Amino acid sequence: MASVTLKNIKKNYTKDVTVIKGVDLDIQDGEFVVFVGPSGCGKSTMLRMIAGLEDITDGELFIGDTLANDVHASKRGIAMVFQSYALYPHMTVAQNMGFALKLAGTPKAEIDERVNKAADILQITHLLERKPKALSGGQRQRVAIGRAIVREPKVFLFDEPLSNLDASLRLNMRVELSKLHQDLKTTMIYVTHDQVEAMTLADRIVVFNAGVIQQVGTPLEMYENPSNLFVAGFLGSPKMNLLEAQLVGVEQGAAVMRLPKGITVRSAVDASRGKVGDKVTLGIRPEHIQLADPQDANAIPARVDLIEHLGDIVLAYIEIPGINEIICLKLPGHMTGLKYGDSVRIAFPEKNVLLFDAEGLAFKRSA
Amino acid sequence: MSASHSAEKVLSSSAKDSAASKKRSRNMANSRKAQRALALAGQYAGLIAFAIFTCFPFVWALAVGLSTDPSNTWLFPRSFWPTEPGLMWFERVFTEMPFLKYLKNSTVMSFWTIVSVVVISVLAAYPLARLKFPGRNLIFVAIIATLMLPSEVNIIPNFITLKHLGLLDSYWGAIIPNFAGAFGIFLMKQAFEQIPQDLIDAARVDGATELQILWRVMVPVSAPSIAALSIFTLVNAWNDYLWPSIVITTRDKLPLAVGVFNDLTGPFAVSTSLVMAAIVLTVLPVLIFFAFTQRYFISGLDGAVK
Ligand SMILES: Nc1ncnc2c1ncn2[C@@H]1O[C@H](COP(=O)(O)OP(=O)(O)O)[C@@H](O)[C@H]1O
Ligand SMILES: [Mg+2]
Repeated sequence: MASVTLKNIKKNYTKDVTVIKGVDLDIQDGEFVVFVGPSGCGKSTMLRMIAGLEDITDGELFIGDTLANDVHASKRGIAMVFQSYALYPHMTVAQNMGFALKLAGTPKAEIDERVNKAADILQITHLLERKPKALSGGQRQRVAIGRAIVREPKVFLFDEPLSNLDASLRLNMRVELSKLHQDLKTTMIYVTHDQVEAMTLADRIVVFNAGVIQQVGTPLEMYENPSNLFVAGFLGSPKMNLLEAQLVGVEQGAAVMRLPKGITVRSAVDASRGKVGDKVTLGIRPEHIQLADPQDANAIPARVDLIEHLGDIVLAYIEIPGINEIICLKLPGHMTGLKYGDSVRIAFPEKNVLLFDAEGLAFKRSA
Repeated sequence: MSASHSAEKVLSSSAKDSAASKKRSRNMANSRKAQRALALAGQYAGLIAFAIFTCFPFVWALAVGLSTDPSNTWLFPRSFWPTEPGLMWFERVFTEMPFLKYLKNSTVMSFWTIVSVVVISVLAAYPLARLKFPGRNLIFVAIIATLMLPSEVNIIPNFITLKHLGLLDSYWGAIIPNFAGAFGIFLMKQAFEQIPQDLIDAARVDGATELQILWRVMVPVSAPSIAALSIFTLVNAWNDYLWPSIVITTRDKLPLAVGVFNDLTGPFAVSTSLVMAAIVLTVLPVLIFFAFTQRYFISGLDGAVK
């Protein structure tokens, strides 16, 4: 087991295109860290540099206390699980899992023992003599994970390991990966573009965009207090509602914004670094918007555009006259009375309204 | 009220539409079926014609070799069916010439040719397919360009080189010039380029050196290409006539192709039937080899990724 430390890591594939633009990150021993970000933002590149499959253009990578920049992939004490599984098609499952040990000259008896132990953990003992082509996608994924476990690495690296599986299998494997981490307590770095996987698996999430870390934190911290608009929009499903607004009042521990048509909204943030008249973006999560009493004069009038019944919850998409953005509300599953065209009144609770400045940076919550 | 009315109208008219389109699609399906049958028949006719075209020399040789009475040899199509069938000519192949000696020579020479061609092609193709270095494309183009040269161009320089190496009139002299071939390098390069990068990376993380990656992952995964290259090389080596007949002068070292030609044709030839029987016996080992390699022709990459 080991920590992983990145110091100002940079990566250029060609001279003028910088894919990773200076990443600093401390990953604790035994931590489950998820790199998440849109496709093409450099997550795989980051992981492959840690694995030793890609040269590090600039910066320092420490695995444990060792500077690992120039250490060969096989000597870093890492094991990697690939999105495509990358099983050796000409070997049986057992040979696939034992290949690294065999190359390292481990005695046959010990290889068998470790392979059997890993197969037991993953419940693939009955598959050990099969070739990969006789396995289903989920089974192949287990073998790929088994191949990593057998090596007893200091750090596990996963590159979108679940994205080739169907939805239900993905859920199962997600739970099993969590369990695996609890059992092994090994440092794990996991790459995904799926924010649900990130939220459910991670001890800490690292949100990437365009080769730059946007924010690092625990899933809930990130969900509640995104540091900028990108993170706010990326985490959460359905997305956070983001509305253009103008700052009209800065008070002690609160800000007042005006939406078009003279609607005013209050937010419990410390907006002292902003000034009246600034363009800002207001953010509120779908589950925080409240349906208000139709007689409530302070609530905002709106009209229902679309209703989606998901069983446990109802998603309502509504339109406020004069505002371009469609607003999403997450309501309890029993609210089945709403339908297209209904007039409603909604309220934005002050403590749940987030505020971002013109550069997209969040104002601190005052509470 | 009016809204639901118009909705009904839309519904009924769309139902009519769908009935008409079903009919249309049925007609289309019929004509499509006929087209497919026609295309299939055409394909099979072509394949059968090609099969006859390629098989007939062998069938002819076999039928003539099996005829103890050679009087029908030149009568078409009667010659395709043995007259008074018997193995007499096949037995005489072994008494009229040192067939087994030639067979052994051919086997040894072909075996080492195949091994060397595969090893050299694999080693040359790996860097061309998988490593980045300046001049890579130029080297590849130069290798491919040698395919343009007629093989006769090589005869004199190779002869002089082998003379200086003292390899004239030896097995090695007869086969060494065939070891490095552009075709094999090209074939293996194509095969290696198809291997997913993840598979190679997985082996690298598992601790394999470049050579281990090559021999323990890339080569087994490329089995179909290697089988194809082996067969191709075997046929070429087995049938090689001109070069061995130039280099080898001792009768005991001759391969089959040269031996059969020297002993059974020309002014002292015994009979066409004997030549035909010898040819059939010469081809047989190649067919057997093909039967054994055939199972490697299925894709070696199934199950690797996704
Ligand atoms: N081998 C390569 N050569 C050049 N550019 C590459 C290479 N691999 C990835 N890239 C580029 O680097 C960027 C990040 O890629 P990647 O790390 O695969 O993204 P992600 O895994 O986040 O989807 C992309 O713009 C991609 O086109
Ligand atoms: Mg990727």
